Amino acid sequence: MALLLLLSGCANSASTKNSSAETNEKADAQPKQGGELTYALATSPDSLDPHRSGLAVAGRVFRTIFDNLVIQAEDGTIQPWLATEWTVSEDGKSYIFQLREDVKFHDGTPFNAEAVKFSFDRIIDPKTKSGNALSLLRPYVSSEVLEEYTIKINLATPSAAFLSNISQNQLGIVSPTAVEKYGDQFGKNPVGTGPFKFVNWTENADIQVEKNSDYNWGPSNVENKGKPYLDKISFKIVPEEATRIGSVQSGQVLAAETVPPQNIATLKNDPKTQLLTVNTIGLPYTLFFNQRKEPWNNVKARQAVQLAIDVDSIVKTLYLGTYERSWSPLTPGIVGYDKSLEGSVKVDIDKANKILDELGYEKGSDGIRVKDGKQLTLNYVDGSPNREKRNDIAVIVQQQLKRIGIKVEINITKDVASVIYTNADYDLYGNSQVNSDPNALRAIYHTRTPEEEAVFKGLPGGSDTELDQLLEQGTSELDQAKREEIYKKAQQKIIKDAWIIPIYVFPYTVAASKTVNGITFDALGYPLFNDVSIE
Amino acid sequence: MTLVNKVLLKISTAFVSIIGSSILVFSIIYLLPGDPVLSMIDPSVATPEMVANLRKELGLDQPFYIQFSEYFMNVLQGDFGQSVVNSEPVLPKIVEHFPATLALTITSAVLSVVIGVTFGVLSAIYRNKWIDIIARIIGLFGISMPTFWSGILLILIFSVYLNWLPSIGSDGWKTLVLPSLSLGFVGAGFIIRMVRNSMLDVINEQFIVTLRAKGLSERVVMYRHALRNALIPAITIIGLNIGELLAGTVVIETVFSRQGIGRIVADAIMAKDLPVIQGVVFFSAIVYVVINLLVDLSYSFIDPRVRRAH
Repeated sequence: MALLLLLSGCANSASTKNSSAETNEKADAQPKQGGELTYALATSPDSLDPHRSGLAVAGRVFRTIFDNLVIQAEDGTIQPWLATEWTVSEDGKSYIFQLREDVKFHDGTPFNAEAVKFSFDRIIDPKTKSGNALSLLRPYVSSEVLEEYTIKINLATPSAAFLSNISQNQLGIVSPTAVEKYGDQFGKNPVGTGPFKFVNWTENADIQVEKNSDYNWGPSNVENKGKPYLDKISFKIVPEEATRIGSVQSGQVLAAETVPPQNIATLKNDPKTQLLTVNTIGLPYTLFFNQRKEPWNNVKARQAVQLAIDVDSIVKTLYLGTYERSWSPLTPGIVGYDKSLEGSVKVDIDKANKILDELGYEKGSDGIRVKDGKQLTLNYVDGSPNREKRNDIAVIVQQQLKRIGIKVEINITKDVASVIYTNADYDLYGNSQVNSDPNALRAIYHTRTPEEEAVFKGLPGGSDTELDQLLEQGTSELDQAKREEIYKKAQQKIIKDAWIIPIYVFPYTVAASKTVNGITFDALGYPLFNDVSIE
Repeated sequence: MTLVNKVLLKISTAFVSIIGSSILVFSIIYLLPGDPVLSMIDPSVATPEMVANLRKELGLDQPFYIQFSEYFMNVLQGDFGQSVVNSEPVLPKIVEHFPATLALTITSAVLSVVIGVTFGVLSAIYRNKWIDIIARIIGLFGISMPTFWSGILLILIFSVYLNWLPSIGSDGWKTLVLPSLSLGFVGAGFIIRMVRNSMLDVINEQFIVTLRAKGLSERVVMYRHALRNALIPAITIIGLNIGELLAGTVVIETVFSRQGIGRIVADAIMAKDLPVIQGVVFFSAIVYVVINLLVDLSYSFIDPRVRRAH
């Protein structure tokens, strides 16, 4: 017997209040039609093919051009979009989706089960060279078109993350005719069913999309389910921070993403601009120990570092109160986030010193600890450029660990791929990941197979049978409450055994002119433009 | 050696430099540490099989000499390969973006020459007067201020506060003003110093004294004779300066969000998009060599001594 999960119509309009944005004063007034929104992006998308690009910046554009089968609301529930309802088989290995019958692609191609099958089969086709989309779609095996608007999707193993994953912008449904027409160049000529149609992409200048007047199938996380109010959006590519903020202040663009912390205060006081902030979800910015190395394979050594790093003061000093400190391997807002971890780790220098004493490290004349003639050093690797002041975190950690006699050597490199993932030549390394499901933990914290290690060394290289079991159960547990419990246990275990030092939750910030109303964000923190109007 | 022979020799040397630079670029990129495949897919989500497939697809599992000879044969046929990021062919991409870089380079060069020569001459003629001091300050700023800093400063003043000129984009002359000013200032700084020094040297030379003694007006002495002689070293600087300008576009195009090959190569480096990096560097090498060839040849027309030496 099939388990009926969700029916259409249970739209939850409250879910759009995701952002801590200043509320628009004229929310009640009828939004004004027309106009062009200019929106400055911090980097350039590599491709507008959702199945081939894994860049967050491309994701911000995908939400205008492509729709998904389902959408994830802020509370983590999965709600209808291009699929009106769905059922899951008892073994959790097949899904049957009923699709909307009134949808067509921008090029006139009808949207149906064939198009969904085409999109998903395209992702698993090695010729597509799909990266992130492929890992999100797994364990997908195949699709069967049951009727024109009914599709059955088969998975290799049950996956509790599947619905959440297919709501992510990289699994947007693409037009089969357009893919056949443009082939390899689909990423420069994207065609979907979204609220905006792709018009033009001038490399390093702008990406233009225009209103899809036929649009009538907006998801539950936007108010305006019909055609957008805006005529056009022009995404300008402005990599230089100061220029980007300057362009909003001078009025050359109406909105700009990724505001640096030092500009946030100024912009808040600027009568002409408003500031929108939303915390992204997934894995926070986290420092990972390399457990392949001595002494970091020893939980005691890791705990000493955990007790000596004052994360609060790092986050306050560098981000001036604009970033939230993180406590868990997951960010708040994700399914199963364990709030009880907040405040659980306290700085304790004496205890940290005592642990290192017990481990046999004695302070030398220069204050650095020595054991068997070797200094206790920690090779801290971080990427370049200094994204979100991550390199500055390294410098503060260096100062803080000096207090307990650990010498930190900072290595800032552009070539993280070979230093970290090929050679694993680090003791501590920082990274973050945007993701919609706690299953993201599995890729990082599950014991790696020798085959995986042979190709690249994952983070953080530890192994724990109990944690492995939790992460496996989490993947296949379909009962939401039980699943949350499993992930809470996993988070507690990771923090208790000091696998990592979580640092901050990355907020996506947008500075916009006060004349712009209605920019909202999806569950992952990607902007939505369905409700945007310009006064 | 006749002029024709000399020109032919210069052209063939230029050709050798271009081939040499292509080998150099290819080797450097090949020898760089790091795996381009791992930078293309997020290593935390990739599977070993995905990585292996992609590496094979891109031909990165082949030994160096095969990769290089294939690349070079293709380049000879005008095929610079495809971007590994979005499969776009490299040459059309460069051809599309080069005009914007060229426009920026030329405007900056012209600005640097106009500002540099004017202030250089004036500061030599009015040595130690106020105009000399101003010229020297401009020169000092031009040389010591990094372009990204002067660029942001110009944006703050002319775009954010005065709202006169756009801060971003690359369409129309208005978008050219601020970037070429900030880039042109660097060159101007060097040219001011060069022209000033060589003018001062020339002014004290015997032939100037002779010219003055012959009763020529000061204006003719300065602008027809002294300046002409002082320009020779300045032109060398301008020639080298164009190479600097081409390199400077990488920073300036990013600061002002302009299109251009500097932006392309900066993006490609971040994405480890090898075919694009190779293509742009190779292309820039050609441009640089050609410009230096032209500068070399232009001496002959400005300085009769060089012409006669043929």
